[in-house]
Amino acid sequence: MKRPLQALAVLLGLGIAKLPLEQACTQHLRQAKLLSAPLALGLRENLSQMGFAASLGGLRSLVASITYLQAYHEWENVNWAKVDSLLQLTTSLQPGYANYWDDASWQMAYNAASHYLYDEKLQPLVRGKLYEEHVRRGIAILKEGLRYLPDEARLWNSLAEIYERRSHQPELAAEAYLQVHRLSQNNRYWRFAAYQLAQSAKPELWQRAYTMLRESYQSPKQRTPSLIDTIKKLEAKLNIPFPQRIPDTTPLMQIPATEAGPTR
Amino acid sequence: MHSSFSPSRIWTLAMATVTQLLRMKIMAFLLVFCVIVVAAGFAFPVMNPEQQLKLLKDVSFGALQLFSIVMAVCATALLLPRDLEDRTLYTILAKPVPRHEYLLGKLLGVLVLIGAGLILMDLAFSGVLWLRQSLVLAQSVNALQQEGTATPEAIAQLQAFVGKQGLTWNLHLGVAAIFFKAAVVTALTLMISCFASSTLFTIVISFLVTLIGHGQGLIREYFLTGHAGAVKKGLSALLAIITPDMGAFDIVDNVINGQAVTLTAFGFMATTAGTYLLGYAVVSHLLFVEKEL
Amino acid sequence: MAADSPQPPAVAVENLTKVFKAGLGKAAFTAVRDLSLTVQPGEVYGLIGPNGCGKSTTMKAILGLVIPTHGRTAIFGRSSTLVESRREVGFLPENPYFYKHLNGLETLLFYGRLCNMKAAELKDRAREMLALTGLEDAADRRVSGYSKGMLQRLGLAQALLHQPRLIVLDEPTAGVDPAGSRKIRDLILSFKSQGITVLVTSHLLEQMQEVCDRVGIMAHGQMVRQGRVDELIAVENETELVLADASPELLAEIRALVESKGQGAKVVRSGHPRTTLEKLFLEVADQ
Repeated sequence: MKRPLQALAVLLGLGIAKLPLEQACTQHLRQAKLLSAPLALGLRENLSQMGFAASLGGLRSLVASITYLQAYHEWENVNWAKVDSLLQLTTSLQPGYANYWDDASWQMAYNAASHYLYDEKLQPLVRGKLYEEHVRRGIAILKEGLRYLPDEARLWNSLAEIYERRSHQPELAAEAYLQVHRLSQNNRYWRFAAYQLAQSAKPELWQRAYTMLRESYQSPKQRTPSLIDTIKKLEAKLNIPFPQRIPDTTPLMQIPATEAGPTR
Repeated sequence: MHSSFSPSRIWTLAMATVTQLLRMKIMAFLLVFCVIVVAAGFAFPVMNPEQQLKLLKDVSFGALQLFSIVMAVCATALLLPRDLEDRTLYTILAKPVPRHEYLLGKLLGVLVLIGAGLILMDLAFSGVLWLRQSLVLAQSVNALQQEGTATPEAIAQLQAFVGKQGLTWNLHLGVAAIFFKAAVVTALTLMISCFASSTLFTIVISFLVTLIGHGQGLIREYFLTGHAGAVKKGLSALLAIITPDMGAFDIVDNVINGQAVTLTAFGFMATTAGTYLLGYAVVSHLLFVEKEL
Repeated sequence: MAADSPQPPAVAVENLTKVFKAGLGKAAFTAVRDLSLTVQPGEVYGLIGPNGCGKSTTMKAILGLVIPTHGRTAIFGRSSTLVESRREVGFLPENPYFYKHLNGLETLLFYGRLCNMKAAELKDRAREMLALTGLEDAADRRVSGYSKGMLQRLGLAQALLHQPRLIVLDEPTAGVDPAGSRKIRDLILSFKSQGITVLVTSHLLEQMQEVCDRVGIMAHGQMVRQGRVDELIAVENETELVLADASPELLAEIRALVESKGQGAKVVRSGHPRTTLEKLFLEVADQ
């Protein structure tokens, strides 16, 4: 009976000695963003038991992929509520994966919102209301995603685009584009932000837009048609003295005809 | 003087274990794996390219984990009972082979097999991923060209983006983490089979401990930081002590997502796995050294 | 070692008792009770007795496969609990099985490596052992296709591989046909001529009688009788006389002679001696 007792003693000793090592290992891996935080309790109720066991066993990414596929299937069925809840599940399983936040907000702010806007079975007032609600939902999803990934340029860009194209809030769009610029160091987003400020209803923002665009104008590479066009409009709106305005004959940068292309 | 630790004897036993297990048609599993990987790589063309690559990685890593854990538990659980049943254990231990060498040989054999299996599967998976990523890149560049926006910068950006989602050295470190976990499960199963009365018991208990081990992190943190009654705290402490933290090796989810495995992180996982391996090997030895055969 | 120091016995079992603990609520089982035996170097010792009498447990204790509850066992003076004690012993278990995926030669190479034999020496020795046990032709065949007798012979080859000074055989002829059984008997006799000590168990007494120098008879975990075979089986007050081609007249004369001059001696029985079934089978099989 001596040996089994020794075995038990070693097992327990090992068990106690390993606790600090495990704790340190977990802490380090979490800091290195290699381990995700434990799943929230509420989420476990949404997952099937199997899915929960699997996500516990290091298959969280796979389970997320599956719920994502299910969401795609529900999209084909035009079941927006289900799409939303499945993508919410997906993002909670892998909040560090930007693509999921991006897709979830796109589904709501674009697909669902437009679907309701053009649904002729609904009253016009209801359509507008549903459109707004889903755009707001898309924005909320991105904001939530940005809490986990504040440095993800892609999410800031999607947010800016929704403000710009879906909810028409140019000041907010400008702010988001400035974040993209900060993170990507790509001057295009600096210009985008300025275009949005130029569209604001607040005249005090026009001056700021003008200053930003003149800064871009310094570099001949950035003199896109949109840049020159916006500067000229702002010069008119702000009554800039003629000598200070840009020349009319500035050679335009050769660009393809696409309006919303990357050379805006 | 008789040496009580002979690497060549251990290696002989390990290789016998590998061939013994290979005869149990383990290669079939690798074939199934390849089919799954190819299917995951090409079955869902409607999704966006990034998600396609992610799904391929998710499914492949899922299969890798499943393979390694199932192998670790089932193969290990079969070893001792089979040798005992066939009386090969008698002829082996009647030779001048210390019992701990026999155990180490078995452990090493299973680890070599799982390691080799993981390397093979990693190669197959890497091949498919590389192929898929080249296809995705070609399609995207093609699309850019049709839009007339295929500037060198745009293509370079696309290449960088797809490259990050595609095959990287980092992914192989994820496979190493899977191996670490499987190694711990193997040592755990060997330890359980040293006192278990049947193969089924070994398999059930090993899976159970492995499953609890995945939640051990939660249990441990509850015990270390939670505010609860003495009974709850005692129970959680006991569970945290007797089960290994399997969750500490679950980095693949984030590795798939492109998170880099640092040297320190790798070292932490290797140390943790090594500690369990050593500890369980010692306990196995204590249980086996005077076992009645 | 001094030349005049007495050689330790090949096997020494002193007051061996082995109790197997049973599960909860069940009584413990005493397999061997206070058993002592000694096998001298060069001797063939037979341990006989019915199935379940404790023979196998005794062997396992000698080989260190089970730990004695009381008493001690040793091989050439080294306690069985030490791994070193097994360097000079070869063991053939009852109905041996080997890794099915290996062939005969690979099996021997595997066991040879476990004995730390050098590769070149091992290969020659393995071939030699296959030849000795008549398995040369089966060397490249998977063990899974071997008959019971072949497995038994492979087991012997494995036991002899590292040139042990002691061979322990557990029921070596169980389930083997008479030809195979005879072959094993001949092998045991050849070991003896080479000076190898043999410890063998069987429940077939006739065979043991042919090969053993000494036997111990076990029953219910205890040694019942022990001694030299010829002493144990000799019926001291009878004499056997076998005649060939004797006429009835001669037999009558002998009878009369015994009655007249016998001084108390008498003829117990006469008739044709019967050949044993084993002998008959072998004769027919050889033709």
